[in-house]
Amino acid sequence: MGVVLLGALVASIDTTPKQGASDDRLYALAVQLKCLQCVGESVGASQAPLAVQFRDEITKQMRQGRSDDEILTFFTTRYGQEVLLTPPSTGLGSLVWIIPVVGAAAALLGLIALFRRWRREADAAPEASAADESVVAAALRERHDAADGAQDADHPDSPRPEAGLSEARRSDDD
Amino acid sequence: MNRLLGLSGVLVAFGGCIVGIGVLLAGLRSGRTQQLRLGRTYAFVVFAGSVLAVFAMQRALITRDFTVEYVFDHGSSATPLLFNVATMWSALEGSILLWGLILAGYTAAVAQKFRRRSDDPLVAWALIAMFVVGVFFFGLMLTAANPFRGVIPPVGYDGPGPNPLLQNHILMAFHPPMLYLGYVGFTVPFAFAIAALVTGRVGEGWLVETRRWTLFAWGFLTAGIVLGAWWSYEVLGWGGYWKWDPVENASFLPWLTGTAYLHSVMVQERRGMLRVWNLSLLCATFSLTILGTFLTRSGVVESVHAFSSGSVGPLLLGFFGVVVLVSLGLIGWRGDQLRSPGRIDSPVSREGAFLANNVLFAAFAFVVLLGTVFPLIVEAINGDRLSVGVPFFSRMTMPIGFALLTLMAVAPVLPWRKGTGEVLRERLWWPAWGGVATVLLALVLGATGPTVVLAFGLAGFAAGSAVRQLFLAARRQGWRGFVGRANGGMVVHLGTIMIAVAFAASTSYVRQAEVTLTPGESVTVAGHEITYIGPRTAEFDNRLEQISQIRVDGGQIYEPRLNRFRRGGMTIGTPSVRVGPTEDVYLSVTSSPDGATGELKLRVIIQPLVVWLWVGGMIMLIGTALSLFPGRRRDPLSPASAPVPVADGTATPESS
Repeated sequence: MGVVLLGALVASIDTTPKQGASDDRLYALAVQLKCLQCVGESVGASQAPLAVQFRDEITKQMRQGRSDDEILTFFTTRYGQEVLLTPPSTGLGSLVWIIPVVGAAAALLGLIALFRRWRREADAAPEASAADESVVAAALRERHDAADGAQDADHPDSPRPEAGLSEARRSDDD
Repeated sequence: MNRLLGLSGVLVAFGGCIVGIGVLLAGLRSGRTQQLRLGRTYAFVVFAGSVLAVFAMQRALITRDFTVEYVFDHGSSATPLLFNVATMWSALEGSILLWGLILAGYTAAVAQKFRRRSDDPLVAWALIAMFVVGVFFFGLMLTAANPFRGVIPPVGYDGPGPNPLLQNHILMAFHPPMLYLGYVGFTVPFAFAIAALVTGRVGEGWLVETRRWTLFAWGFLTAGIVLGAWWSYEVLGWGGYWKWDPVENASFLPWLTGTAYLHSVMVQERRGMLRVWNLSLLCATFSLTILGTFLTRSGVVESVHAFSSGSVGPLLLGFFGVVVLVSLGLIGWRGDQLRSPGRIDSPVSREGAFLANNVLFAAFAFVVLLGTVFPLIVEAINGDRLSVGVPFFSRMTMPIGFALLTLMAVAPVLPWRKGTGEVLRERLWWPAWGGVATVLLALVLGATGPTVVLAFGLAGFAAGSAVRQLFLAARRQGWRGFVGRANGGMVVHLGTIMIAVAFAASTSYVRQAEVTLTPGESVTVAGHEITYIGPRTAEFDNRLEQISQIRVDGGQIYEPRLNRFRRGGMTIGTPSVRVGPTEDVYLSVTSSPDGATGELKLRVIIQPLVVWLWVGGMIMLIGTALSLFPGRRRDPLSPASAPVPVADGTATPESS
C-alpha cells in the first residue's frame, strides 16, 4: 500500500515551469498582492484602476522574463510591505509565522507531559477487584430494570449519546 | 409613527430584560418559585418588544418612511420588495435589530422549553445570563446604534438604497439571517455554561440539556458560512468564494471553536473529563462572536463587508472584555470543582483522538485569529503597515487541514479507553485502500502536484472511514443507523470531506484568462470555446443592466452583465456561471463594451469541482439534522450507563 502511494505521489510531481507570460501565472501572482485602492481585495480580484495597472505591470515584467520573486520584490520596494499579502519573514512581522509554530510545539509537549502524568497515575491507581465490578454492575442493572425497561441492552450502539463510564467497557463499534 | 413604534419596542425589550434580571435574582434569593416563574413571562415580553421593533422597521422600509434615519440612509423607492426587507440587515443598526430579535427568540424558546423547571436555579441563571446579553444589545439600540433615529427629509426625497453589492443577489436575503441564527444561537449553551458555573453544578447535566441547542446553532452557522461563500462566488466576479477576509474569519472563528466543542463534549459526557476545557470553548465561542462583530462592525479592519463605522466599536470591545473576564473569573472561582475525576488511558483511543482534534481546532482558530488581528497589533506597536492575506492563511492552515483529515479517518474507528494496533489495522484496512484508490483515480484523471494528490488521498481515507461506520450502523440498526449524533456526525464528515476536496481542487487547478472580444469573435480558454454574440440591455427600477451574450462550447448562451445602479452611480458586475459536475466555467465582464469598436473585456475562469462545495454544505446540514433527530427518549434522571454483563467474565477486545 505504502509503495503504491509513494509511487503515485512521485508520479504526480508537477514539472510545469513557472516562467513566461501566461494569464494563469499573472493571476497566481496578482492574488499575492493587495489592491491598495480597494478594501480587502487582492490585485487579482479587483477591477479598480490601480489593480488593472498592477496587472499590466506584472504582464510586462513576465514578458521581460523576470522571476516570480523579482516581480513581487519590485512591488514591495515601490509600494512598501503593505502591498504584499504575505507577511514578512524578518522583523516584528515575522512573529505571525513564528508564534503559531512555537505554540503548536508547546501544545504538543504539553500533551505528551499530560499523557505521561496520566500514565503514572494509572500505574499508581489500585485495580478494581472483581467484587467491586460486580457491585457496580448489580447496582446499574437494578436501576435500569426499575426505571428504564424500554431501553434494551441488546443494542449497545443505539443512539444513546449520554452513555457513560461503564459503557466504555464495551466496544462501540462492532 | 414608525419611530415611536420601534423605539417603544426596543424600550419594552430593554426594560423586559432589566426587570427579568431583577425578578429572577429576587426569586433566587427568596426561593419563591412564583417569582422564578415570572422569568418566562419577561422572556416573552422581551420577545414581543423585539418583534414590535422589527415590525416597525420593516413597516418603515416598506412604506419608505424617510423620517427614520436608517431608511433615509439605506432605503429607496426603487429597491425591489425582497431586497427592501433585506435592507434591514444591510447596515449596522438594522443588523443589531435582527440580532436582538433572534436573541429574544432564543431567550423565549429557552424559557418555554424549560418552563416546568423554572424553579431550578440552573435555568434561572441561564435566563439571567441571556437577559444580560439582551441588556447589552437592546442598550446598544438605545445608544450608539439606534435604528430609529429621526431625520427630517427634504420634500421629494428618495434614499440611495442599500449598498448595490448587497442588492445584487438573492442570497443576501438569506445569508445574514442564517449566520445570525448560528451566531446568536451560541448564546444558549454559553448561558447554561455560566449558569453551571454560578450554581456550581458543573457536572454533565447542563451539557446534555444544551446539546441540541448547540447543534442547532452550529448547523445554522455552517449554513450561513457556506451561503456567504456562495454569495461571494456569485457576486464578486473573480471566481473566488473564500479569501480569508476579516469578515469571513469572524464567522469562521466561532465555527472552529464550536466544532471543537461539539467533539470534546462527547468526552465529558462519557468520561466526565475536560470540564474546564469545554467551558472555556463555549465561552471562547460566544466571545468570538462578539469580537467578530466588533472587528466587522467597527470598521477597525478594512474589508469589503465592513460597510459601517461609528461609536459601537468601543462598546462591543468593552462587552467582549466583560464576557472574557467574567468567564475567566467564574472558571477560576470554581476551579476546585472542575477537576476531572478521570484520565485518558491511552493516546490511541477515542478520547485521545478527540483531544487531538481539539488541539488542532484550537490551533486553527488561533492561526486565523492571529492572522486577522496581526496587522492591527503591528500598526499599534510601531506604526508599520503590513498585510496578512491568502498566502499566509493557506500555508499555515494547510498542515492543520491535513492533520484534521487524517484524524477524521482514524478517530471514528477508535474504541474508547484504549485501542490496539491490531484493531486499527483491521478497521482501517478498507478505508486506507479507499484512500489509495482515490489517489490512483486522481492520477488517472490527470491530477498533478503531490500536496493536492495527498489531500485527495487523505480525503478518500477519511470518507472510507465514515462510510464504513455508516455501513456498519445501518447493517445493525436499519434506518436508525443514519440518525443520532454518532451516525449523523459521519454524514457531516462526508460533507466536510467533499468541501475539502472541492476546495483543494478548485484552488489548485484554476485556469483563467482575460480576453478581449468583438461581437461574433471566438476564443479558446483551457479547452473551452467562448463566443461573444453581442450586447443587449435591460432596464429595471433601480438599475440598468448591460448584458453580454456569451456562448460556451457552442451550446447554451450565458449572460454576464454589468449593473449600473441609478442611485450612487455604482457599477457592479454580475458574473454568469456554467455550473457542471466536473468544472464551472465562470464568465465575468471586467469593463463595459467599448462604444466605438464594440470590444468586450471578459474574464474567463475555469475551476473544477466548485459545485461540490455547495453540495458538501447541504450534506453537512442534512447530517446536522440527522444528529438532531432524537434517538431513544430516556429518562433524564436514569443513570447514563447500561448494565454491564460482567458476571459471565467475557470481555470485548477493547476493554482490556
